[in-house]
Amino acid sequence: MIVLTDIAKQYGRVRANDSISLTLEPGRIYALVGENGAGKSTLMRILAGHTVPDSGTIAVRGASHARLTPALAASLGVGMLYQDPLDFPALPVWENFRLGGTARTRVQVVDKLGELSNHLGVCFLPDEPIAALTVGERQLLELLRLLDLGATTLILDEPTTGITPEQKRSLFGLLTRLAREENHTVVLVTHKLSEALEMADAIFVMRQGRLVSRLETPCGEDELVRLMFGEAVDRAGDVPPVSAPQTRRMVLDRAVFAGPKYHLGPLNIAAAPGEMIGLAGLDGSGQELFLRGLCGLDRLAEGGLELDGRRFERNDFKTLHKAGVHFVPADRMSQALFPDLSIREHILLAFPDQAARLEEFRREQCEGRFNLRAHPDTPAKSLSGGNQQRLLLSLIPDGAPLLLMEHPTRGLDAGSSLQVWEHLRERCRDGATIFFFSPDLDEVIEHSHRVLVFYDRMLVADVPRAQATVETLGALMAGKNLEAWHAA
Amino acid sequence: MPRSAWLEQTLWMLAAPALALALTVLVALPSGAPPLQTLQVLLLGGLGSMSKFGQVLTVFVPLMLCAAGLLVPFTARLWNIGIEGQVVLGAIFCTGALMPFDQGGPAHIALALAAGMLGGALWALLAGVLKTWGRVHEIFSGLGLNFVAMGLTIWLIFGPWKRPGVASMSGTETLDMSLWLDRMGRLASSWTALALAAAALVMVAVLLTRTQWGLSLKAVGQNPKAARLFDLSPRRRMLQAFALCGALGGLAGAVQVLGVYHRLLPSISSGYGYTALLVGMMASFRILPVPFICLFFAVLNVGSIQLPLQLNLDSSFSGVIQGLMVLSVFATQGLRAWLIRRREGC
Repeated sequence: MIVLTDIAKQYGRVRANDSISLTLEPGRIYALVGENGAGKSTLMRILAGHTVPDSGTIAVRGASHARLTPALAASLGVGMLYQDPLDFPALPVWENFRLGGTARTRVQVVDKLGELSNHLGVCFLPDEPIAALTVGERQLLELLRLLDLGATTLILDEPTTGITPEQKRSLFGLLTRLAREENHTVVLVTHKLSEALEMADAIFVMRQGRLVSRLETPCGEDELVRLMFGEAVDRAGDVPPVSAPQTRRMVLDRAVFAGPKYHLGPLNIAAAPGEMIGLAGLDGSGQELFLRGLCGLDRLAEGGLELDGRRFERNDFKTLHKAGVHFVPADRMSQALFPDLSIREHILLAFPDQAARLEEFRREQCEGRFNLRAHPDTPAKSLSGGNQQRLLLSLIPDGAPLLLMEHPTRGLDAGSSLQVWEHLRERCRDGATIFFFSPDLDEVIEHSHRVLVFYDRMLVADVPRAQATVETLGALMAGKNLEAWHAA
Repeated sequence: MPRSAWLEQTLWMLAAPALALALTVLVALPSGAPPLQTLQVLLLGGLGSMSKFGQVLTVFVPLMLCAAGLLVPFTARLWNIGIEGQVVLGAIFCTGALMPFDQGGPAHIALALAAGMLGGALWALLAGVLKTWGRVHEIFSGLGLNFVAMGLTIWLIFGPWKRPGVASMSGTETLDMSLWLDRMGRLASSWTALALAAAALVMVAVLLTRTQWGLSLKAVGQNPKAARLFDLSPRRRMLQAFALCGALGGLAGAVQVLGVYHRLLPSISSGYGYTALLVGMMASFRILPVPFICLFFAVLNVGSIQLPLQLNLDSSFSGVIQGLMVLSVFATQGLRAWLIRRREGC
């Protein structure tokens, strides 16, 4: 049994955790839910020994600690599975499995891995490199590694991001068995309420650094939503209809994109102005290359690209950028922003011709239209995820015909996400064509006129809105039902 | 800034020289030299008389030119360690440009200075192209090119450009007096050279802090991937930064030839390129402290000539002190950052 008492942690003026007390009992599954920035991760990092709390105690099986270190937490049986698996892609499975454990020979490691895999009903090839595994498999391996290290309390941070619905079911099945049969404690950190309701025996709800409630399941989703967000959140309306579906804004004609690792294509696609097209696929299925190729960051090896009737044989980034193709990567800080440059400097870089009336322009663009309420001298690295995305969107000129968004709501809270989608819809109404990718299928379905599904570095299906359901898309993403789909 | 914060800032700034002093004493002790007297000899050796101060200025000029130049690539987070070779190439091009002339005037001098800048810029572009198109890290290519430049000088001095009859380490034939830079009265330094150094600093400062180009360069340094998305042509910017730095390094080499040695020598750069890198590091590549650190290092350099004469110490001791100063700055900065991190507890 683990008892957290009055845990507090402050970052600058932000109270990430405000005197939180909770008890975790063995053999039970807990869900910790809350918006981004509610303090879930901080609390779990404190429990895993990665963050030192300002005050409070952590009692594990009766022994009380003011702080834990990662090694101490591991020895107490606390194991944490991060959203992005903390493994070493270049190493084979068995070497990853051995990491952090005692020194053992290869034979011992492989035996142990086999024993655990067999026991839990999974399968790994010891010599396969991690890079060849899917995110779901990597998570399972990480889980096995934690169990091998003696973990009895398993913390999983957003474990279902980027895995197929099927992999999710097998992961949840495994977790249930670990809790029920082996008496392990499982903590699921998530912002997806359906998962919390499906899995957990008890749900902790956090909001703005405080633990606002502990609910026993079953409980109503409405109540949970109300607790999480404080007040009811309006859902965005339906996607606006495409005004001129026959017009061709963008055409790919037998286009092959060549990425650093693989080729994608030949692709034949057309998109109309005002169309929002969602991309679905597991990590590395080709949707990344599709977006990067469309904007010219990766090479167009064969075929042609047409934009508003103008044909490009080469997808030169500069030319396309001038023609109004804009790409916004998911990893905003490391790929799209300059960490130490201010908001003002970003605007100056994106709109050099506005230098003369910079301040006025900034106020109109950032504050007036995007509600970016931060001092213009704030460096990008100090902005919240939502403000970073607002800044990036405000840097795209009006009337840009083609927007390529890679997971536009990554790391944003519900309010900011809603704002981002409203903005993107407005651009669509004004005639922009938007391609976007999101690992969250619900989000893809909600905001697309149609969905392009990628599987195994191929575009496998173009699904109209009416037929886009989680089941259909999930199956296509996993490479199932392809023949049936194409036959129909 | 509140008063306590200001006080803390000052204390931290003083911590670095204090640490350097302590380390210097530690190094001086085994050689049997009285540490404080050593420092006194160093400072007086550089500032004790007008003629010594003239010497200091002749060291200050190339240091300043190189350090000002290095600020540019560093803004793009490039370590132009090849600056040493760029100084050498500047000297070679300068000497080469004057080869056809037995005597001349300001026009010839201007031509020679321009040639020096061209030589340095081309040598720097070589490292730049290797970096941007060949994926060779600029530190490796720069270091390699430094050795090549050194070899090139020696080949020229002992080969095609040797003095009639004698080829020796003392260099090529001396330039005609009409091709020398002007003198500051009876001092060793020259007004032209000093003006060039000052102009370089001002130009670099304006370029980096007041222009769109400077902002773009900063952006490229912060995040080349984002710079690509902003259509800032990161490669071209990097090459421009290399070329500009190389041109200033080459100018330093040309000044060495025209104003100091009046010929091409094997060690024409006197290691000023490397010293300028130390200056840049000590200033954390901020513009304001650069001229002061350059002056200070120049004083140490000139003062160190007195060490063997007065204290029987090797003159390389000033290099030891310069190194210790840079180390101390890093050590105190690191300590401070560590303390702040620990206070915030992450």
